[in-house]
Amino acid sequence: MSPEDLTRRLDDKDAAQQRFLSLFLRSEREVFRYVAALVPNVADAEDIVQQTALSLWEKFDAYDPNQPFTPWACRFALNKAKQWIERRQRWQLLLEAGLAEELAQRREELRPELETRLKHLEGCLSKLPDEQRSIVEGYYYRRDGIEKLAEKSGRTVGATYKTLQRIREALQTCIENATKGVA
Amino acid sequence: MKLTFPSLEFDKAVAAVCHGTASDEQARALNEMLRNNASARDEYILRLELHSRLASEPELFPPANASPENVVSIQAPRRPRTRKANWVLALAACVALLAAGWWWLRLSNPSERKGATSKAVAMLNRVADAQWEQRHEAPRLGAPLEPGWLQLKSGLAQIVFYSGARVIIEGPAELQLISPSEASCRSGKLTAEVPPQARGFRVGTPQMNVTDLGTVFGLDVKDRRMELHVFKGSVEFQLNANTTKQNLQEGNAAMAASSLPLQFIAANPPAFASLFNLQAKSVAAESRRCNQWRVVSSRLDRDPSLLVRFPFERETDWRLPNTSIRSSALADGAIVGCQWIEGRWSDKRALEFRNVNDRVRLSVPGEFDALTVAAWVRVQGLDRKLNSLFMSDGFEPRTIHWLVRNDGVLGLTVIGHETNQYQICASKPVLTLDQFGMWLHVAVVLDGSAKRVVHYVNGLPVGEKALKIKPPFRVGAAELGNWNANGFPKEDPFMIRNFSGAMDEFCLFSRALDDGEIRALYSDGKPQPDSSVQTRK
Repeated sequence: MSPEDLTRRLDDKDAAQQRFLSLFLRSEREVFRYVAALVPNVADAEDIVQQTALSLWEKFDAYDPNQPFTPWACRFALNKAKQWIERRQRWQLLLEAGLAEELAQRREELRPELETRLKHLEGCLSKLPDEQRSIVEGYYYRRDGIEKLAEKSGRTVGATYKTLQRIREALQTCIENATKGVA
Repeated sequence: MKLTFPSLEFDKAVAAVCHGTASDEQARALNEMLRNNASARDEYILRLELHSRLASEPELFPPANASPENVVSIQAPRRPRTRKANWVLALAACVALLAAGWWWLRLSNPSERKGATSKAVAMLNRVADAQWEQRHEAPRLGAPLEPGWLQLKSGLAQIVFYSGARVIIEGPAELQLISPSEASCRSGKLTAEVPPQARGFRVGTPQMNVTDLGTVFGLDVKDRRMELHVFKGSVEFQLNANTTKQNLQEGNAAMAASSLPLQFIAANPPAFASLFNLQAKSVAAESRRCNQWRVVSSRLDRDPSLLVRFPFERETDWRLPNTSIRSSALADGAIVGCQWIEGRWSDKRALEFRNVNDRVRLSVPGEFDALTVAAWVRVQGLDRKLNSLFMSDGFEPRTIHWLVRNDGVLGLTVIGHETNQYQICASKPVLTLDQFGMWLHVAVVLDGSAKRVVHYVNGLPVGEKALKIKPPFRVGAAELGNWNANGFPKEDPFMIRNFSGAMDEFCLFSRALDDGEIRALYSDGKPQPDSSVQTRK
């Protein structure tokens, strides 16, 4: 191979990588949520998304640019998630007997409805009392870790988890009301 | 354990799954429930969706309480043994880089990311012994000026309007900035130099409105009378809205007083001599200041911990001399692209980074327990999401990335001992729009033994973070004003990190400088001693 050929090849590879990255970045959140419907623990879901990114890149040659990228990526994500689940007994217990596929499929069907509801999330978040807001923000946005959050708020770890659960319930109630209000 | 739906136990189990704390029992019971009860399944999907939205949409969290600091772990990708191994590895690092970019943005301030706009119409670009009435908000040299009144008690100040017109005022004077091509003078003496592109520049006074037709003219506005002198070209003026416009040619002057008819006399340049001297005066003062800095800063070169100092003193073709004496082993920098421009003082140079490829490359071998990086910079704009000040190439273990995020946050990313961990140490947004175009001293101290990172602007600490990554640290191959992503796609927004602005003096020390030392770097190098800008008794 001449140096020119080699350079061209590298350039092609560069361009492909660039295309891939820009597609992937656009889909990343959706892929994350797809995975999180199966493995909702945030850190684990992010690991799975990254492994998905690697295998998507490996198979990027096979990607048909006429097809939408996100569903293609989600198929890989499902496989990655299943491989990941196989190695973890507890998640296996949760998702065994076909529940993983069932959840993924049902979530697809529910997508429009989920969108309708969750567009109220931002408004509902802003209605939370300051203290609750700061816990949600610490957990989901700053990713402070439960111990730090517990320490900050003067609660036990268990009570902090409970508080997070209550806050999500409050958000969900607010979203329900807002959805009905508009409908 | 058997779950019913709806029930508190069900709620608890779903929450535990979200938190990753579910027990085997809960997992088993949920599995059974979700496979057999469609409404429970739909409810479960909705709850998980709410949870995953919270985790994946940083925009949901407005900036107020966001504290941008975190240690981030990235999954270290397995090394796949395929023929594509190299590319996959490259991608693995790339994913890591993306994650880094992503984290930076996730931690960034959504509202400020939209980009602030400036209402400024002019800029203060030269002063001599200026004392302002606005004691607390005295305009700073190089600062953009928004519409409003400038009240100069004494001394001289030159204001460059964005239309290109240059106005020098002599205190006591009151000048109102109205737009890039309009001002109003209530009292005081001024000269205006209006280049062709600013033709039409207007100055209002209580007695008349003056419209420039491409000239140099002077105004002397007193309580009840005023004089208009045309030194070059011609102007048009109008006594009040009802009178006709009149032309005044070079060499002529007009005197208007409330009780007297308009009088025409010869223009009198000596009456405005002090204003014409501003340039000469300020150049002399600058030269003194620059020489002071030369003496003081050359002492830095003997500091045994100084790895690199680029004073940017002389224009060179591509070599950027490192003046540190200790660093005989440390090579000079290499300039790629860039332009030489005027630096902090008129007889001092600086290097401007403007194009996407502009950079200075350097190589810093060795391992260090602490590092201090300091530079004089003039930010033109924060065009990129991440704008490099000084960044080690790629994403190598233990190296550093010093940068400014597009919302004005100063950041130091410290990469861990393995590529799968890094810490982002960020200040609050500190580089604000009104500081663009001005020389600023920025510094960061990475202190491995005190386990902290401190950011500084103009000699003052602006953010301190606990450092969670242990020394030693490295720099290796690195760049000023840009970043070499090591062969990764350069057109992705995360990957382009070129700095837009100029740099004048750069220092890298292999130890942690203390607050006092950083303050001294700033005060020894600041373009103007405080007294000439602010009030002086």
